[in-house]
Amino acid sequence: MDLKKLAQSLHLYERRVLPEIEQHPFVSALSQASGLKEVEVTRALQWLENKKLIRVSVEPRDVVFLDKNGSKYAREGLPERKFLQAVQVKEMPVGRLAEKTGLSSEEVNVCIGLLRQKAAIVLLKDKELKVKLAEHGAHVLKNDFPEERFLRRDFPVDVSALSKEERAIVDQLRRRKQIIRVDAERVKKALLTDLGKKLVDLGVRDENVIDALSPQVLSSGSWKSKQFRRYDVMSGVPQVSGGKKQPYRAFLDVVRQKFVSLGFKEMSGPLVETDFWCMDALFMPQFHSARDIHDAYFVKEPKSGKLDERLVQRVKDAHERGGSTGSRGWGYEFDVDRTHRHLLRTQGTACSARMLASKDLRIPGRYFGISRAFRYDVIDATHLPDFNQVEGIVIEEGMTFRHLIGLLKLFAKEFADAEEVRLVPGYFPFTEPSVELYAKHPQLGWIELGGAGMFRPEVVVPLLGKYVPVCAWGLGIDRLGMFKLGLKDIRNLFSHDLAFLRQSKVM
Amino acid sequence: MPSITFSADDFWSLIGKKLSEDELRRLLDLAKAELDAALTSEMTVKFNDTNQPYLWSPEGLARFFRAALGKRVLPLKLQKSDIVVNVDKSVAAVRPFIACFLAKGPALSEYLVAQLIQLQEKLAENFGRQRKKVGAGLFPASGMPFPLSYKAVSPDAVSFVPLGMKQELSLKEVLEKHQKGKEYANLLKDAKKYPLVLNGKGEVLTFPPIINSDITGKVKPGDKELLCEVTGTDFEGVMLVSTIFAYALSDRGFAIYPAKVKYGSKSFVTPRVDPSLVKFDQSLVKSLLGLDLSSIEVKHLLERAQYVVKGPGKVELPPYRADVMHSVDVVEDVAIMYGYGDFHALPLTSFTPGGVESLQEFVDLLRVLCVGCGYQELMSAVLSNKQVLYDKMNVRDFGTVEIENIMSQTFSCVRTWLLPVLMDVLSKNRHVDYPQRLFEEGLVTQRGKDVVDERHLAVVSCHAAAGFTEMRQLVESILRSAGVSFSLEEFEMGCFIPGRAARVMVNGREVGFFGEVHPVVLEKFGLSMPVAGCELNLTSLRQQ
Repeated sequence: MDLKKLAQSLHLYERRVLPEIEQHPFVSALSQASGLKEVEVTRALQWLENKKLIRVSVEPRDVVFLDKNGSKYAREGLPERKFLQAVQVKEMPVGRLAEKTGLSSEEVNVCIGLLRQKAAIVLLKDKELKVKLAEHGAHVLKNDFPEERFLRRDFPVDVSALSKEERAIVDQLRRRKQIIRVDAERVKKALLTDLGKKLVDLGVRDENVIDALSPQVLSSGSWKSKQFRRYDVMSGVPQVSGGKKQPYRAFLDVVRQKFVSLGFKEMSGPLVETDFWCMDALFMPQFHSARDIHDAYFVKEPKSGKLDERLVQRVKDAHERGGSTGSRGWGYEFDVDRTHRHLLRTQGTACSARMLASKDLRIPGRYFGISRAFRYDVIDATHLPDFNQVEGIVIEEGMTFRHLIGLLKLFAKEFADAEEVRLVPGYFPFTEPSVELYAKHPQLGWIELGGAGMFRPEVVVPLLGKYVPVCAWGLGIDRLGMFKLGLKDIRNLFSHDLAFLRQSKVM
Repeated sequence: MPSITFSADDFWSLIGKKLSEDELRRLLDLAKAELDAALTSEMTVKFNDTNQPYLWSPEGLARFFRAALGKRVLPLKLQKSDIVVNVDKSVAAVRPFIACFLAKGPALSEYLVAQLIQLQEKLAENFGRQRKKVGAGLFPASGMPFPLSYKAVSPDAVSFVPLGMKQELSLKEVLEKHQKGKEYANLLKDAKKYPLVLNGKGEVLTFPPIINSDITGKVKPGDKELLCEVTGTDFEGVMLVSTIFAYALSDRGFAIYPAKVKYGSKSFVTPRVDPSLVKFDQSLVKSLLGLDLSSIEVKHLLERAQYVVKGPGKVELPPYRADVMHSVDVVEDVAIMYGYGDFHALPLTSFTPGGVESLQEFVDLLRVLCVGCGYQELMSAVLSNKQVLYDKMNVRDFGTVEIENIMSQTFSCVRTWLLPVLMDVLSKNRHVDYPQRLFEEGLVTQRGKDVVDERHLAVVSCHAAAGFTEMRQLVESILRSAGVSFSLEEFEMGCFIPGRAARVMVNGREVGFFGEVHPVVLEKFGLSMPVAGCELNLTSLRQQ
């Protein structure tokens, strides 16, 4: 890499630390030398190592820490000083020294030993043992104690950074009670690489570098004469989780927009529905086993809902003897109470039935719904009680099964990017003919995309009052959604796992 | 969806040729059926159309295949017979209808016995609604004394030895002690009298639809004479099931001896083998399917679907089918035999302007504004529970639609508001980095005078410095950007700290509220981080 470019890319911390490494390979010493905090030095070392300017090794090292008594003595002076001051004026019996100096008897004993060694005092043996200041003692007292000077340093201190004299002091002090502690640590040691040395030789302490562009820098115009530090644009940054749409909902937004672009109007209906709209209006006989697959959640209160009784009568007639639909009907007695029964919407097709009976219906018209539906099924990790259904109708005079097939091919192209479809006879109680749509997705291969058919006259005539061809269809797009969102697990469509949502892709 | 299993070789011999797997699958598609697994010496076929029960046997399915391949399906010819079944009017209140016939043929193989039992079970379980509507029985019948009688008696009046037991039990005891009796006892729970079929000597043949008697026994390999008995509450269903059985046995080389079933002065011959005449409006081929076909072409297609064309507008449906209610049913069969894949698609050409639901654009605008403020959107189940909605939120129930037949306590009612749903999400994500800012827009349902769906928007912010001010800033920001003029009022609600909540008013009507969530609520959700939240009713907001 270009050495100059490299120099320009150094962070302020790196520029401070790099030239000191030769002299002070350890973090604490580097901190002192550079004026940076240790954490800043550590980060600088990390960056420098990433740039291959240094090598960092971990080495054992002795470090001196100030202990309890040590910090007291650093403040108040060593006991020896108090001791000498006490015997300065006149000799004093050993027994009274503790009281006179405020030292503990242990400290007094230590002082006696130390000061005799230094020939600062002499012991006199009279009736009792007495201490007298020696001639050298007065000299000692006048001067600084090197031990006191040492204790006033900033700790912890690296033993390897100490002078010979200081090491002697350390040896001496660590033998005394709780003044200092010497611990072995594993520390990082930095060593310049050849590249690092070159860069140091080039001089990195250039202060003409701007780190952060600030309002001050702008208003003073100082940037005009300085260099901007080059960033390492490849290094990682902390992750940010911005606001975003729920992935599945965003997918449904796209689906909704797609339908609108294909000329479909959105329709909706209530979550708490009646048997009438969920099943009876769709010509599903009240006794039929087809209702097994639509077992429903029933509602405690209110047990039943209001309906347009003229519609109920027409649907009843269609079920019983066909009414005016040209059908022979199912041939059973239709239960009018049951049709009013409340349940949670079992299928989105209820919305299509409502649309057919609505005064808002336009012919020709295309309608779609993205509706919640509820299936009475075991709820476990993979089955939620409610799900979204995408379905709708097209109503148009003169429309035939061939138009329905055209519509299904269009859906296959628009939603599954599929040119090839397979149309298989299907069975739905409310359509005839009925068809199942398979589409060849470019990546997923053949997928079941949905079901469709022409609404039976027994559905259309009672609701609309006349027969007009109606194509009805439902699309299973969850699998496509999962594919587009890169999801493997259907549970994730309604995920409450925030960590997952923050990582997830959104459309 | 019923499914049946049978031998592939048997099936090939029934249709008279061996098919490739592709051809097999193509023809199964036409029958609205599919293979459950790859084709081996055995095949399992699943049926998607529950209205064609005659297909639920290899014999019936093979008949469909033969016709679809262009072969003729011959009608069943009944033998001369003087079998009589006398129906007592006592059965009218419990299980009014019976059909019966005798079949004589080659000795049954073990395989065929299994097939007949499979058909009997599928018909009774799926078509017969677990024997309630229709149930069928097959017995060995050599030396059977006729006439049979069908009547209902008091539960204690008659005793017999049920199949699989040694001692006599009364009908009541059968329901209490016999395994099948216990299984199906609920079918007779409202009955005062229980039905019985007796032979010419007055011995109990069967206690329908529960269990046969020991003297009747089970059908077993080697049997050459069989009695088929079908009872039920639906006349057409009973007739259809007996016909389906008769055809299946006839296809296996059995001669069918019908019974005359006498209901007082009326009588019916069972099985019914006359085809039913149905109307067929041929113009639907053009108007519903969009196909230009000649009458001859239509005739050929109808024949491949087992119809017999009897003249303009009239076709005969084979007696084992009863699924035609309207000409559209016949037209679908025409379309299926024509081949869905051979239809030329037509585009829709009319102009229909598209559009979203009236509230959707407003909803989407607010969602985008929330996203812009750094909030993560959620989508949750509509079902919830009162513990989360009220107890944990420290508020009273404000009108909930509850589920009667709950599947799980967690999903026992429809949510009435969204804020608790978001609190619940926060409580599940305590290990995830803060701040956590969430929102959800969706349907809630409240029960007042009526049941009303509303679209709500709820927002929560959860982090060390979350509070009233942040939530007020958010509400003000999104409403201002959405062009809503509003005012605030002091507001008290159990879930908020008193004096730190406000009601959002538009044109003098409440459209929502927000505030700092009370520590009592935080504790209940196990949260040790402050939360501020809001809930807006977008439906009423839009109406203002």
